[in-house]
Amino acid sequence: MNFIIGYHTTQFGELWEKSLFDLVEEAINGVLKQTSLSSRQIDAVFFGNMLAGVLENNLHSPSKVSEILKVNIPIFRAEAACASGGAAFNLAKTYLDSNSNKNVLVVGAEKMTDYSPEETITGLSAASSGEEQEAGLTFPGLYAMMANFYLEKYHFTEENLAYVSVKNHYHGSLNDKAHFRKKISVEDVLKSPYVAYPLKVLDSSPISDGASALILTNRHDLIKKQRNLVSVLASEVATDTISLKERKKFDEILATKIAGDAAFKKAKINRRDIKVAEVHDCFSIAEILAMEDLGFWEKGEGGNRIKELLTMCENGGNLIVNTSGGLKAAGHPVGATGIKQIGEIFLQLTGQAEKRQVNNVRYGLAHNVGGSGGTAVVTILSI
Amino acid sequence: MISPIKIWRRQKEIRKILGKKGKILAWTKIYTPGTDFKKYAPYPVVLVELENNEKAYGQLVDYRDEDLKTGREVVSILRKVREPSIDGVITYGVKFKLL
Repeated sequence: MNFIIGYHTTQFGELWEKSLFDLVEEAINGVLKQTSLSSRQIDAVFFGNMLAGVLENNLHSPSKVSEILKVNIPIFRAEAACASGGAAFNLAKTYLDSNSNKNVLVVGAEKMTDYSPEETITGLSAASSGEEQEAGLTFPGLYAMMANFYLEKYHFTEENLAYVSVKNHYHGSLNDKAHFRKKISVEDVLKSPYVAYPLKVLDSSPISDGASALILTNRHDLIKKQRNLVSVLASEVATDTISLKERKKFDEILATKIAGDAAFKKAKINRRDIKVAEVHDCFSIAEILAMEDLGFWEKGEGGNRIKELLTMCENGGNLIVNTSGGLKAAGHPVGATGIKQIGEIFLQLTGQAEKRQVNNVRYGLAHNVGGSGGTAVVTILSI
Repeated sequence: MISPIKIWRRQKEIRKILGKKGKILAWTKIYTPGTDFKKYAPYPVVLVELENNEKAYGQLVDYRDEDLKTGREVVSILRKVREPSIDGVITYGVKFKLL
């Protein structure tokens, strides 16, 4: 069994004074301090990052992480668009499965705000198909197509989607590391300008800077000593076509369904056992699809279920979703997101989630998606 | 990066789907585009099922907002699709117009 023994994240936001590797260093030092480990006690590192090569001609990151840690251990970069963090975590877990008595550092980071929105959007488009890029389809555009299709098929309106952002901004107001800490109303969402019809600015996660890090271990001596110990019951990855148009259904993310089903099977628990989840809400529609595709809600009922706001922590439903604020309010530094999601579940399971703490949590789930659904990673944790 | 060679290679594929009729399966209207498309925003993009059951994307041209509906019949046409590359090669690709 593999265990998470520590988590640290930087502030998420527009961090103009810090470079990508300033953020990486801050996250690494934070998690090492918290777990009282030295860099020499780390046996391997997995680094999640998408855009450094595209935006700032910044590659060979393993060597850059080596320079920060002053070690000569194996270090690997994982890239799966917005699922880069989740993919790095999955690889770290797989590494431990085949190597006993090791400590692995998982760090994810992204530096996105040095560039104009158009440049960053173009960079993000690298994770879509050539035909999508040629048609001028951005990522908001691809999710907007799915949203439009979903709203039309199940007879919902943009108002149904707006509740996702209202809930996640409320959670963000309770998280001092979140990019946005302001509560918003349904009217605020509906009045915000369109990014890609029917999705508006307040349906969309922001462009953020940030880094998050976890320590994963299977070292028996360390496991015995740790106060904050969370076991990894499952971490499953599934992939699908890069092009939305090649998929059979436009109102589901098949990779989420496959990874979710595999994770629940491996963890040997039921959907109702999960009390907290971080799901990939890059756009409001994405959270609704995630809740359905993970099996928490029936297909087509998400538009109504979100309006009940039972997944908001102050309402105390059976499952609270995106207590970090989600990608929407906590921010979405692409490579960091998947690590932050798992880290938030770690905080919840170990009772460290402060104002947003959900009571009596034994199991939690993190769900990370790359692109328009080409990759999905589902992780289930327990105390 | 867009190179003239990539554009040349793509032209061979584009030819095969020109002049094809189809129906809109899904659509959106982009207000915040990438760098190469800034000049054209806002613009609608449609996902179309062609007569031969293949699917294709393209921007819709010569439209009114009320034309943006699933099920509308369209035909694929050749149009300039983005700002010319640094080498000055004009990129032509597929767009759609209403039937």
